[in-house]
Amino acid sequence: MTKELENKFAAELERNQGIIHKVCRTYTNNDAAHKDLFQEITIQLWKAYPKFRGDSKFSTWMYRVSFNTAISLYRKSKRSIETTQIYDNLKELEYQDYDASKDNQLKLLYKAIHSLNDIEKALALLYLEDKSYKEIAITLGISEVNARVKMNRTKTKLKNILNP
Amino acid sequence: MDHLEKLKGVWQDQDESTLKFTKSDIFGMIQKKSSSVVKWILIVSIIEFTLPNLIILFTDNSASKKLYDNYDLNGVMTIYTVIYVIIIIGFIYYFYKNYKNICVNSSVKGMLHSIIQTRKTVKYYINTNITLAAIIGLHVFYKVFNSPLFIEKLPENTNMIAVWAIAITIFTFVLFLFWGVYKIIYGFFLRKLNRNYKELLKNE
Repeated sequence: MTKELENKFAAELERNQGIIHKVCRTYTNNDAAHKDLFQEITIQLWKAYPKFRGDSKFSTWMYRVSFNTAISLYRKSKRSIETTQIYDNLKELEYQDYDASKDNQLKLLYKAIHSLNDIEKALALLYLEDKSYKEIAITLGISEVNARVKMNRTKTKLKNILNP
Repeated sequence: MDHLEKLKGVWQDQDESTLKFTKSDIFGMIQKKSSSVVKWILIVSIIEFTLPNLIILFTDNSASKKLYDNYDLNGVMTIYTVIYVIIIIGFIYYFYKNYKNICVNSSVKGMLHSIIQTRKTVKYYINTNITLAAIIGLHVFYKVFNSPLFIEKLPENTNMIAVWAIAITIFTFVLFLFWGVYKIIYGFFLRKLNRNYKELLKNE
């Protein structure tokens, strides 16, 4: 039974891992920390998986657990702090279909997001993922009105960083 | 369309292939142990609950026993011990209840709230301990300083106010030190969580 559950979980996670990578890249700034946070999110998802009843989409549930891990549970390990290699250098070398303009825009976007606080980072990510205010409010546990107010402030802050 | 709207497309098309994990990587990850802050909060809280009691239990208490015998403190210390045990059991119960409420499936606000509440139980426990220690301390000082056995040991014409002042200063300093160390540990775990929680509650 456990093996079957493990298989099902790993398959779903493998398919949807893009979400976790985006959260990791939003909340960390180097490769080792990214992998560390990815692992912690995976552990938390696995621990919570038996309680996931499918009332929400797997991806919606993943956002929730990923944000909770990044915002509340994760502490940078010694290993990830010591690593100074920054993503941006790494990415440039490894991209196969290197699209300079798009990649540059993405880099600038992540750089801007890194200067936001933890809650604003979650808001920015949910905005870029095109989530509804209702879903954002439920994920963060705040009212829809507050989600709108916070989102407008975050967007203004992001725009100011991107186009000073 | 504004600049941010345009960036949505770039964001959603981003290629994560360089960091993609396979199913077997994921199998490996779920075998690993979590290093989450909640695990550390549990470990540190258990230490905070048990360490002072273990120290009392395993240290030589013949000196304090002699003190209680000499100054007729055995009865009152038994009452304080009973109160202390009830307090510990109560706090451990509430701590466990709050700890069980921490659920990663909650909303971000719900999760932050439950972790902060759990840690706060320990904060209240420490505050209660310090208050109880202060009460017991003052009670013991009162009994000792008013006992003929103690007074006859003092040089003649000793100012009792000075004796009280010295005793209370040293005692307050020890309690303050204990409280300070605890505050540092408390802040270490909760600084980030409190900041994020306040940020979420803004405008609610």
